[in-house]
Amino acid sequence: MSDRDRAEARAVYSSANLPPANPSSLPRPHRTATLSRLLAAASLLAIGSGTALAADDQTAKPHVSNEALLKQLEAMEKRIKVLEGRLKQQQASPPAAAAAKPAKPAAAGPYAQAADAPKTSAATAANDPASEPARKPILGLVDSPVPGLSLGAYGEFFFGAHQNPAAGGQWQNGFDARRFVLLPTYQITDNIIFNAEIEFEHAGSGFDNDDKLHGTAEIEQLWVDFKIIDQFNWRAPGIDLVPIGYINQHHEPTQFYSVLRPELYNGLIPSTWKVPGSSVYGTIMDGLKYQVMVSASNEDFGDAFDSRTEGNTVPGPGTSYAAGINGHDALGFSNPPLGDFAQLSNAVAVSGRLDVAPAFMPGFAGSVSAYYSSNTTPRGAHDDLGNLLGNSSLTMFDAEFRYRVPNSGFEFRGEYVTALFGNPANLRANNDSDPTNNVGKTMWGASGEVAYHVPLGTILNSSWEAVPFYRYTIENLQTGGFAGTDVNEPTGAGQLQFHNVGVAVFPSPKVVLKGTYQKVINKDPAGANSDSFLGGVGFFF
Amino acid sequence: MPDWFKWTAPAAALVSVTSAAHAVQYLSIPQAQKLAFPSASQFVETQAGRAWKAQAGGRTLGLFVFDHVIGKHLYIDYAVALDPGGRILRVEILQYRESYGGEVRQASWLAQFVGKTSASPLAINQDIRNISGATLSSHHVTEGVKRILAAYGHGLR
Repeated sequence: MSDRDRAEARAVYSSANLPPANPSSLPRPHRTATLSRLLAAASLLAIGSGTALAADDQTAKPHVSNEALLKQLEAMEKRIKVLEGRLKQQQASPPAAAAAKPAKPAAAGPYAQAADAPKTSAATAANDPASEPARKPILGLVDSPVPGLSLGAYGEFFFGAHQNPAAGGQWQNGFDARRFVLLPTYQITDNIIFNAEIEFEHAGSGFDNDDKLHGTAEIEQLWVDFKIIDQFNWRAPGIDLVPIGYINQHHEPTQFYSVLRPELYNGLIPSTWKVPGSSVYGTIMDGLKYQVMVSASNEDFGDAFDSRTEGNTVPGPGTSYAAGINGHDALGFSNPPLGDFAQLSNAVAVSGRLDVAPAFMPGFAGSVSAYYSSNTTPRGAHDDLGNLLGNSSLTMFDAEFRYRVPNSGFEFRGEYVTALFGNPANLRANNDSDPTNNVGKTMWGASGEVAYHVPLGTILNSSWEAVPFYRYTIENLQTGGFAGTDVNEPTGAGQLQFHNVGVAVFPSPKVVLKGTYQKVINKDPAGANSDSFLGGVGFFF
Repeated sequence: MPDWFKWTAPAAALVSVTSAAHAVQYLSIPQAQKLAFPSASQFVETQAGRAWKAQAGGRTLGLFVFDHVIGKHLYIDYAVALDPGGRILRVEILQYRESYGGEVRQASWLAQFVGKTSASPLAINQDIRNISGATLSSHHVTEGVKRILAAYGHGLR
């Protein structure tokens, strides 16, 4: 038993000897703490009576008979129930003071004290198995008003200096509340789970001049899962993430080390790639999982939402419109609309993934995934000469791995992704009078990353970790096989290399402080002019 | 969009046929108890719904503790079996409710807990591997097991 454990044990047992304070005379948070102490004491006494715990603890009272203890327990339970009732009544409005309490609400079970112990930091569970499930707090502040409802969150903020390509590469300082996302989950039954992500980008949106906002409030995920059997579960039609690569579905800032999301997910995989879709998923065997999704197809239309016509077509011949797929932004503007029956085609895409984490290779996880749409050409698509554009399919493959080498600090990640266009002559970028943004038959990208995990010891009661890393990414968004009415004069801006070097410091697995230097190189004679030196704060809980 | 119906109708039909029949509960408490202590003749409940002493012929084989932690948002039900010396014999996931992170059920991952005591670090990336894609679940289960060891892992007499 370490000194710390001993101290924890003492803290637990000594609470059993507290005088019976009158909780109603205490301020509310204190009362909650008292309640939890009482519960902890009661439970530990119960354990003590059954299993004669903690022989080395001097404060235990082995001479008290079991019967006497049980009677005491019963009395305490009754008293606790009365107090709980009173608390509930008085907590009609959420206690503001609870915000000052760092731990989640007083755990009501036998581990209340252990849960509060700094080393275990296990305040993540409400611990009364007899109670209804999931009384998780909302944002760690108050009890969930609805059993089964929980609210998580993630977010990331960037700041620092970056080169602005629109200003000839001038270094400019800035700040971006990039995203803040609320994650409501509701366990309707054990088998039916509701899940959503409500996202505010760039600090949200506003319309008055003094708001200075140009962000979004959007639904990034919205679905109901039917958990059927381990091998087969169904996600009812909703807004969901295309199951390709790793970061698209696991895009919380604690999942990657750079300030900005990995480059392959910034266009080639149009992350956050969210679509109207429905999927089935499950576990095939230990270490092998699958997901298959049908969804609205991506569309080769990258212009303003309002420029769709009432007939759900692109603007008529004679009116130019922006491509959804182009040689500079890859697929970045091609995601299907999520609302209002405003899709520009009837095409349905199919995507799927296989996740592997073999037992014989601990620390290794990887996936292969693919996406296929028979047609990305929107209704009424045309070139700038007035000719209609025919179909073009989109096929994508991705393979990636993450390997945390056991018993060492090393971690390696690698990924390869490619997009194949069925008929590039029908892509709008090849018919939009812009000779520089043309697209060939394929696009591809690859990245390799090495990171090293360095424990920093215990600071502020949590174990910190620093993760210095380096990632190299190469992308070619303008390969050969170009066809279309445009003159083909790519500048080389679609042939990119990225060097990312930096460090991510995790004060807890749920918080990350990041610093990253990014060097961007392309083959444009004018240069990429997009280097950056950014700091970031991210969280996910 | 008629295409939608074409694609989702079979799945919907399948769900409506099978959904009520199964729960995604991998093990009940008695099943997990039997798995942890196959030779036990009885389990004496020492704490309602939470802790049981496994016994065989008057001899105590160990303690079985049921608990839950939150994975990402929802509860993970798990159980820890301890030998009389407070050493972990087995950890099982009884019920996992969320859509992501179910890898904590993998036998090879759970096997890492076997033999741990309250003196073990029980920390992700120290003596327990992180699971890529199940970061929160793996952290929280590890914290939960550690908590059980802190509360019960001092050995039985």
